[in-house]
Amino acid sequence: MRQTDQPGVDKLTKDAAKVIIQVRGLCKSYGETRALENVAFAVREGEILGYLGPNGAGKTTTINILCGLLPRDAGEATIRGIDIEQDPVTVKEQIGVVPEESNLYPELTSRRNLEYIGELYGLSRSTRGLRTDELLESFDLADKAAVCFQALSRGMKRRLTIAAALVHSPPVIFLDEPTAGLDVPSARALISLIRSINRDGTTVFLTTHNLAVAESLCDRVLILVRGHVVAEGKAAEVRQRVAKPGTLWVVLSGQVEQESLRTACPLIKSVAVVEGRWCLETSDIHGVLTQISTFAEAQGVRVLEINSDTASFEDAFMTILTDKSGAPEVKS
Amino acid sequence: MNQMVRALCISRKDIESYYGKPPLITWGLLFPAVLMLAVYIKDPQTYLAICPGIIAMTLLFGNTSMAAIVVTFEKRSGTFQRLLLAPVTCRTIILGKAISAAAYGMASSLVLTLGLVALLGMPLEHPFVFAVGLLLGAITFSLLGLIASVVVREVFEAMTLMNFFRFPILFISGVFVPLAALPAWAKPVALVSPLTYIVELLRYGIHGQSYFGGFWIPVVVSLVFAVVSWIVGERIFQQRARL
Repeated sequence: MRQTDQPGVDKLTKDAAKVIIQVRGLCKSYGETRALENVAFAVREGEILGYLGPNGAGKTTTINILCGLLPRDAGEATIRGIDIEQDPVTVKEQIGVVPEESNLYPELTSRRNLEYIGELYGLSRSTRGLRTDELLESFDLADKAAVCFQALSRGMKRRLTIAAALVHSPPVIFLDEPTAGLDVPSARALISLIRSINRDGTTVFLTTHNLAVAESLCDRVLILVRGHVVAEGKAAEVRQRVAKPGTLWVVLSGQVEQESLRTACPLIKSVAVVEGRWCLETSDIHGVLTQISTFAEAQGVRVLEINSDTASFEDAFMTILTDKSGAPEVKS
Repeated sequence: MNQMVRALCISRKDIESYYGKPPLITWGLLFPAVLMLAVYIKDPQTYLAICPGIIAMTLLFGNTSMAAIVVTFEKRSGTFQRLLLAPVTCRTIILGKAISAAAYGMASSLVLTLGLVALLGMPLEHPFVFAVGLLLGAITFSLLGLIASVVVREVFEAMTLMNFFRFPILFISGVFVPLAALPAWAKPVALVSPLTYIVELLRYGIHGQSYFGGFWIPVVVSLVFAVVSWIVGERIFQQRARL
């Protein structure tokens, strides 16, 4: 995991064969405001990449450039080696896009929406029919096939919008805030759906404000702040990067001397007793656990309870956001 | 070929979603039919003089309005973005949208024409020339509507923009006043209006005579207008149809 303005580029060269989306030096401005500044990253085939950042970080701008809705000012953006600006039609055949706001035709039924999208992607009539049935079935919308899009619930609309993005079986799918505005059951159903799409081999490029979703779903995350990539790696790595000394709460079955505890466990940075529990601060929780276990055995006491307070992914994300060194001021 | 098929799919969907709806068909027919009837009741001997103008006006208002409304509405609802995300070129989108709008205008004008022939005895001296006039008018006016739709955000803005152009040309294009009867200063202005040539083509189709003597001049100039509208439309779409 690195913190850099040019992440992913060296790794890209090594894994070039597996890279499905490659972005280098991407810049985009809206008037005087710079939305993206020298953004670079790579997405490998079959992975789920979480593209995270606060509002206005440039996430949707990146997606819009990658799927041909926005022209870029500078840089390179390729999908399967094809530049979106050089050959937009071919690139669009390779991708499915689920925008933040569902954008299917309100007056058309679920089935007709999927069939029409299939027509736009040049699928034959028989393939369209089969694919529509298959998607309606797997997205649990078969009984809503004849219902107009505008009459569906929000969760159903989201599912149908994702289904529409998959009509042509694209190798890459972009999901912009897929769980936004959904209730918990609908969001969970959608997350398992995204997992199953990915299991089928589709590469997923996901933006979300739901960090728990990002942590559980994504193989890697990339954090964008003010148009700059400030962190990239597995969620656990990002969390570890900003890890502060962890706190262990330990309850032993008998009395022990504080001094002997400190001597036996040198990895402990500070010791206190709070309401009969040992409060131990350390930067190596695993090491301290081993030392305490050995110490307790030597003292003839038992470890009755162990709890730890560690930095969550959300804590790590917030630390990165407030870390000015990672996000240079963007000229505006 | 693939793109052509996709353009036809866009047209079919638009006809299904918008143009094929009964209220829209009625709206497109009711106003010109009532206008024609009013003129006929007032003077059954002279109503024929303004038939070509009224049919051309039906084409102008129907096509420019509907093409502009459909695209502006889709831009507002986000469904136009869906089209931009699909593997279709700008040319395909323009073609698809123009075909459906032109089909709507042609159908409305044709129903009006058949009604005038059947009920009021309007002649059709040259039906083929008349059909060519309808086709060229439908294409040109649809493209003008599409151009308006991409330069504005709201439906009312599209209508306002179109009205700046539509109402003035009604009075200088031979719709209500024959070109020969226009004041001298208005005649050169009439010659730069695309509506003028469509009215004269329809007039030739109905009466067998036009201000330009025959049908070649209006056919060629109307073709030029259609091609120029296409080129301008494509350029503006490429520049402005993205986000």
